[in-house]
Parts: sequence; structure tokens; C-alpha cells
Amino acid sequence: MKKEKDDVYGDHISHQFNDDLSALKSDFLKMGGMVEEQLNNAVIALIDSDGNLADEVRAKDKVVDRLEIELDEEATRIIARRQPAARDLRLVISVIKMVADLERVGDEAKKIAKFALSLAAEGQAPRGYVEVRHIANLVSVMLNDALDAFARLDSEQALRIMKEDKRVDEEYQAATRTLVTFMMEDARNISRCMSVMWVLRALERVGDHACNLAEHVIFMVKGEDVRHTPVEEAEKIVGR
Amino acid sequence: MTDQLSQAELVRQSLKRRYRKEWRFRTYGILAIGVAILALVILFTDIISKGYTGFLKTTVTLEVPLDPELMYLDDPTDPEQIRMADFVAPLQQALLNELPTAEKGDRRELGRLMNSYAANQLRDQLQANPDWLGTTRTMTFLANTDVEVYVKHKDDEAYSIKLSDQQQRWVDELVDRGVVESSFNDVFFSSGDSRDPSNAGIAGAIVGSLLTMLVTLCLSFPIGVAAAIYLEEFAPQNRWTDFIEVNINNLAAVPSIIFGLLGLAVFINLFGMPRSVPMVGGLVLTLMTLPTIIISSRASIKSVPPSIREAAEGIGASKMQVVLHHVLPLALPGMLTGSIIGMAQALGETAPLLLIGMVAFIVDVPGGFFESATVMPVQIFLWAGSPELAFIERASAAIMVLLAFLISMNALAIWLRKRLERRW
Amino acid sequence: MNTMNPNIVNETATTETRAVSAADTDISHADNGYGETVGKPFTDNPKFALRDVEVYYGDTQAIKGISLDIRKNQVISFIGPSGCGKSTFLRCLNRMNDSIDSCRVKGRLELDGQDIYDRKRDVVELRARVGMVFQKPNPFPKSIYDNVAYGPRIHGLANRKSELDDIVENSLKKAGLWAEVKDRLDSPGTGLSGGQQQRLCIARAIAVSPEVVLMDEPCSALDPIATARIEELISELSESYTIIIVTHSMQQAARVSHRTAYFHLGHLIEVNETNKVFTSPQHELTESYITGRFG
Repeated sequence: MKKEKDDVYGDHISHQFNDDLSALKSDFLKMGGMVEEQLNNAVIALIDSDGNLADEVRAKDKVVDRLEIELDEEATRIIARRQPAARDLRLVISVIKMVADLERVGDEAKKIAKFALSLAAEGQAPRGYVEVRHIANLVSVMLNDALDAFARLDSEQALRIMKEDKRVDEEYQAATRTLVTFMMEDARNISRCMSVMWVLRALERVGDHACNLAEHVIFMVKGEDVRHTPVEEAEKIVGR
Repeated sequence: MTDQLSQAELVRQSLKRRYRKEWRFRTYGILAIGVAILALVILFTDIISKGYTGFLKTTVTLEVPLDPELMYLDDPTDPEQIRMADFVAPLQQALLNELPTAEKGDRRELGRLMNSYAANQLRDQLQANPDWLGTTRTMTFLANTDVEVYVKHKDDEAYSIKLSDQQQRWVDELVDRGVVESSFNDVFFSSGDSRDPSNAGIAGAIVGSLLTMLVTLCLSFPIGVAAAIYLEEFAPQNRWTDFIEVNINNLAAVPSIIFGLLGLAVFINLFGMPRSVPMVGGLVLTLMTLPTIIISSRASIKSVPPSIREAAEGIGASKMQVVLHHVLPLALPGMLTGSIIGMAQALGETAPLLLIGMVAFIVDVPGGFFESATVMPVQIFLWAGSPELAFIERASAAIMVLLAFLISMNALAIWLRKRLERRW
Repeated sequence: MNTMNPNIVNETATTETRAVSAADTDISHADNGYGETVGKPFTDNPKFALRDVEVYYGDTQAIKGISLDIRKNQVISFIGPSGCGKSTFLRCLNRMNDSIDSCRVKGRLELDGQDIYDRKRDVVELRARVGMVFQKPNPFPKSIYDNVAYGPRIHGLANRKSELDDIVENSLKKAGLWAEVKDRLDSPGTGLSGGQQQRLCIARAIAVSPEVVLMDEPCSALDPIATARIEELISELSESYTIIIVTHSMQQAARVSHRTAYFHLGHLIEVNETNKVFTSPQHELTESYITGRFG
């Protein structure tokens, strides 16, 4: 497939169909960008104890929700009116599923923002934020890469994201242990550390969702479902 | 906006032009049909007005005294006596009896009012009934042609009356007394040709035509249909079949008189068949109609939708079954129509038959395929060329009969088509 | 007609150049520019085994070496752009091309292991085993009864009137037409609606108890409701018959068939399970065709 990647969905006989598919793609990427921003802002609000930014993130989640519904409608309309097949069908189906993942990422961002508000209100020296920042960076890059892989239909990058998820899990476990140590050191830390734990948990979920996105990208490109399959299997499929 | 307006205006103008064109085209069409109908009406009025009198005969009904002395006849069974006897005298006497104004010296003149076959008719009847001798019998005879012309056309400038003034007065008197009268001309339909217009009939020609047509139909329909089926369904597409096809098409355009020459050369001179018989006429007309039948049959076979053929083949029908069960029934109406039209054409054909001698003067109604005969169009040709004026109306009457045959054949074709045609 | 011809030629020419250029960039082939058929053309125990089939019309080659197995009691659909040879290929399977003088078929075509094009093989017997339904409903201009009874009659399948009645009734029932026509078996078959006529044609085809039914775009002249009925019927019939259907409607192929074969300019490009073909075709040309990029 030496064609321009952008062109892959663009050379139907029906121009309207081309336009529909490219609108679906760009709307999805728009939503992806927004969710990415939400996540970054939530983490910044947490680390900087910025209550305003956290409020903003919580408010903006409504927009993300609306985008999810719009994208679903768009996909439904395409199925009903164009009966997409093969590559087009896989694109539409994947978008429907990935939209759900993105919305969940948005929810996680909102959750982080909520904890940012409560933690900022307590106003004590942040403990465990180093771990939060570290994992946040990891999953943020994963999310970004997943959207990138979608935009460029890059199944190899998607595969790298799937592998990356293992690292996030390890980091999460390490961070959990650190926080448990904090809690054991000083019982007064427990409630704060629990909040930070929840934030870490949310970030870990974002990593999972990014991984899901990557799996859908592989399905879109290769036509093989790699969910619930070992990474080695997925590697073989992508390598074809 | 202005652009659009002006465009609408342009369209409106072109519309006007278009309507005018359409109207003109329609007018031409109506005119053409009008001319055709007018020509037809003129033809029919002319023929019918001239010919309807051909369906009437003029008869003289007389009380004939079968006096042995008058006829010099004692024994009607003796051929010698019959040969010597005078059968004109009783007729003259009978007329004399009917006309008080006539004198004995007018006998000869009176005798001329009678048909030339009247005496023969009297003789035949007397021979058949010998016991009539000595009695007086009421008998009906055909009038002389001159009398007939006078009775039918005395006011018509176109006919010259050959009767003397005296004879005209007698005839008028006889008409008044109901002795001379006109009635339906059964003679015309029951007898063959004759030198005497009053006795001339078309029966011989009709039977001749029927026999000829029978030969033509029996030969050309099966041969034509078989040839068409072979060429359409079985023959491979190659140079040979192309050659045959071109030749068949050319044959259809060959002037019919050429077929007459062919018939003369092949059937009569080569095969030694008798001249002027329906068999040879039928063979010649077969040659002439075959191309028409083959072409129309092929066209109707071609018009059978291929889907029907495919359907039958798809079930596993053999080529033969496809043709017999499906193609032929569907093509038959078209084939029959084509054949009937071809037959009608043959029925009206004169030229080739002239060449094989069917133009001969034949009095007897033919009794078989190898007896001399003539056909209707040739009979019309003969009568129309005759110098005797009374034959003109016979010719017109014969034309009407021929037209009636043609129209009924075409009607049969239409009926058959309607009856047999199946929709698919 | 003459004014039309250049257009047609142009059209095919452009499709060809386009297809070839697409193929050049995508796949490396040795032989004909299209390579081996991708997917799974071969199966165990096939009803039809077709190997290296080539069909020529005069000097033009319409089918360029196709090998394919067709499984018993399954529906396989042939799809592809116009002029790709799918109908020609279908018509080879009961030798309907025989009636075209210029048509020659090469290769090995076996039905249950016997060569279809064997000289000794009687084409009538073959067609009794491999029935056909055509694009346009084409009932004979006879009564409904005679339409169905025609095949059994010419093949001598029924000895008595009652047997023939049974065959007609069963065939019409299988074709889902019995309830609609049982009271008017003597009325002409051409008086039925388009969908009913097509079902009558199917009844006529199955009346001779064929093993395989070939269908050449059977729904292209029908409205959607009639089409749905025929499709339903195809699914039911596939339990007892092997059905090969040529269709222009990809949705139809997706709905009714177990396997789908994609033809392109006389080549068999891809054969696979229908699900596979319509969600993730393996060949670029198949992909382009079913997603509506040409054809």
C-alpha cells in the first residue's frame, strides 16, 4: 500500500461518501485533541493546585460528552445511508468503539480534576505527585500516539502503544507501593494518599483506553481483531 | 435574473416554432391519408358502379309450344332427328304469341332477341324429357346480349345499342308484360367463360384459382417454414448461409414475369408438363411466394424472445424440443400472416401465368390439377381486353369477386394473428 | 449503436489501465498482472471442481484461467464490475455457452468428478442436474401448471398425471408460490407479477430436481420486496441445493451467500467466506470494488 494515507478513504465514486468519511475522521480527531487537552489540564490543575483550571476541565467534559453523541450519530448515518464495506466499514465501526474509549478518558480527566479540587482545598505539601507526573506523561504520550496512529493508519505505532501499556502497569504498581509506604509512615496521610491513588488509578485506566484505541487502529488497518490476543500474536498480524 | 427571463422568452419562442412544425407535420400526414382514402373511394365507386350490373342477368320467360310439326321432330330420342330438328322455330313462335303487334314476317327479327344458346337449351331439355313433345311449356331463357345491354343500359351514352327501333319497341313491350326481366346472375357464378357475355361466368376462374392456390399453399408453406426454421435455428453462420440469405432476399425482388419464364422453361419444356394447368401455375406461384414466406417466417422466428429459448434450454430441452415446443408456437401467427399475405399476392398475380398458357380461352370448369384452367386475374385481363362492351361489366364484377377474396384472406390473416398470438 | 461503441471501448480501457496500475504498485506478479487468486478458492469434496478455465469468444479471451471449487449445498455468489466475465463463467457450468458458435471453453470443469465438457456427455442430462434461473423472469407463455410441468415432462420424470401434479405442487411450494397460485394453475404464467414470475421460474428450475441451481442476477428486474422474498427463498433452497448466484448487488451477495468470489476482467481475484470478503478483503481490487471505488 504505497498510496497516500489520507487518500485511502477518499477515492470513492461518490464524493458525498468521501466527504462523510473524512468528516467522521476529522471530527474524531477533534474530539481526541480535546480529550488530550482535558487530560493534560487536569494533571496540571492537580500538580499546580489550580482550582480554576480544575473547574474548567469539569465544565468542559459536557462538550466531550456532546461530541461523543454527535460522532455516534454521524457513524450511524453513514452505515444507514452508505452501507460501508471492508475498509470503510472497519473505519466506521472502529470510530464508534473508539469514541466510547475517548469519552471514558474524558471522564477520567474529569475525575482527576475533581481530586485536584479537593486536594487543592486541603493545601498541604503534595506527596506522590512525582509519580503522578511521571505516569501522566507516559499515558499522555500514549494517547497522543494512538490518535496519531489513527490519523496516519500506522499499525506499527499502534503495536508499540500496546507494548507501552505494560510499562504503565509496572509504573502504576511501583507508584502504588510508594504511596502505601507513605500511608504506613503517617496515618494522617491516608486520606490524601488515597486521593492520589485514585488519580493514579484514573491515569492507569487512560493508559488502558489508549491501548484499546491502538487495538482498534490495528483492526482498521489490518482487518484482524487483536483484542484479547497476546502481543506476540498481534505482532505477527501487524508484521504481515 | 434578466438572463433567466430572456432564456424563458427564448424557450417560448422556440416553442411556437416547434408547435408550428408539429402542426405542419401532422397536416402532411393527414393529407397523405386523405389522398389514399380518396383514391380508394374513387376506385371502389368506379368498379362497383360499373360492375354491379354484372351480377344481374336478363331472362326471357316464354310459353314455348313444343309442336312436333314446327320442329320437324317426331321422336326426341332419335339423335338423327334431333340433329335435323329446328329448335328456333318454337322460340320464335312463342315470342310471336307474346307480341300481338308483331307479324309472322318478323320471325327472324324476333328470333334475334333470344340468346344464341336458347335453342340448345330447348334441345337439351326436350331430350331429357321426351314426353314434353306436343305440349306447351313455360321456360326461362337468357336474353340475347344486345337485349341485355339494352335493358340495363338504354339510358347510358357509353353503350351503343345494337337493336333496331322495332326490336327496342318489342323489348319495351316484353319488359312491360314481365316476359323480360332482370334477376340475380347465377350464371356468372356457375359457368365458365364464353364468347357470349350473357353466358360468361367466373366459376371456371374461381375453381382454377382455388386449385392453383391449393398447390401453392401445400408446397410453399411447408417448404418456406422448413427453410426458415433451418436457416434461423440450425444452419451455422458462414459464407454459405449468408449467400443463401442474400439470394432469398434478391428472389423476393425479382419481377414475377421472370418466374413465369422459369416455369415455362423448367416445368413445361424440360419436365414436359401440360400447359395452362393449375399444377404448373401453382408451382410457378410457389416459386414466387417462397421468398416472401421464408423472409416473413424468419422474421417471426427472430422475434421470439431469446429468453424463452434460454429458459427451455436451461431446463434441458433439446434443440428440437426448443423449436417445436416454444419457438414454433410463438412464431406461428407471424408465419401464417406472412404466408397468407404471400398467397394473396399470388392470388392476384397475372404475369407469370400468362407465360405458362393459363391465358387460354377455357369454357369448362376445371375438374383437377391437370386440366386446363384459368385464374381470376387472368380472366379479368381477358374480359377487360375484350371488344364486347358487355364484358366490361363482367370484368368489373370479377374484380369485385377477386377483391372480396383478397379482403377475406387478409381478414383471415388478422383473425389468425389475434387468435393465435400469445403474449410473453 | 455505432456511436455507442467507442464509449464502451473507452470505458473498459480506462478501467483496465487503472486496475493494472493499481496492481503494479501493490502486488508483485509474474504472469498476468493479477497473480494467483487470493483467499480460499479450494475446498475438500467439492461439487464443482473447476481448473484453469478459459473462455474465448472468437479471438477475445473472456475468462483468463480461473480455478475454483464450489461446495455442496452452499450459496456462492459471483460479484464484479460489468464485463468481468462472471456471467460467462456461470454459463459455462451448464454449457449454456454452447449455443454461441464463436464460444470456446478450455480447462477442466468437473461436476462430482465428471468432466462437464466431455464429448460423450449429454448436455440435456447436465442441464437436468444443473438448472438455471435468468436475469429477466422468463416464464413460457403457457399456464402456470405447464410452466412447472414442462421440465418433468420432457425428461419423463412422471409416469402418471397424479405424479406430475405432485411434482408441480412440491416445486411451487418450495418456491413459496403455492399459496398464491394454487387456485389458478391454469391461468397464464405471464400474468403474474415480476416477483411471482421469477419464483415461478425458480419452481420450474427445481421441478426437475437439479443438484445445482445457477442464478444469473435473479433479482435485478425486481422491486425490493420481491427481491427480499427471492433472497429468503435462496437461503431456504441452499439446504438442499448448491446455488451459484451472479449479482450486481454487493449487499445481496453479502446477505445470501456463504462464499463470495470477486471477478475482474476475466480473472478470479479473490474467493473467501462472505464475512471475510465484506469486512476485510485481502486484495486491493476487491476492496476497491466492494467499497464503491470503481465498478
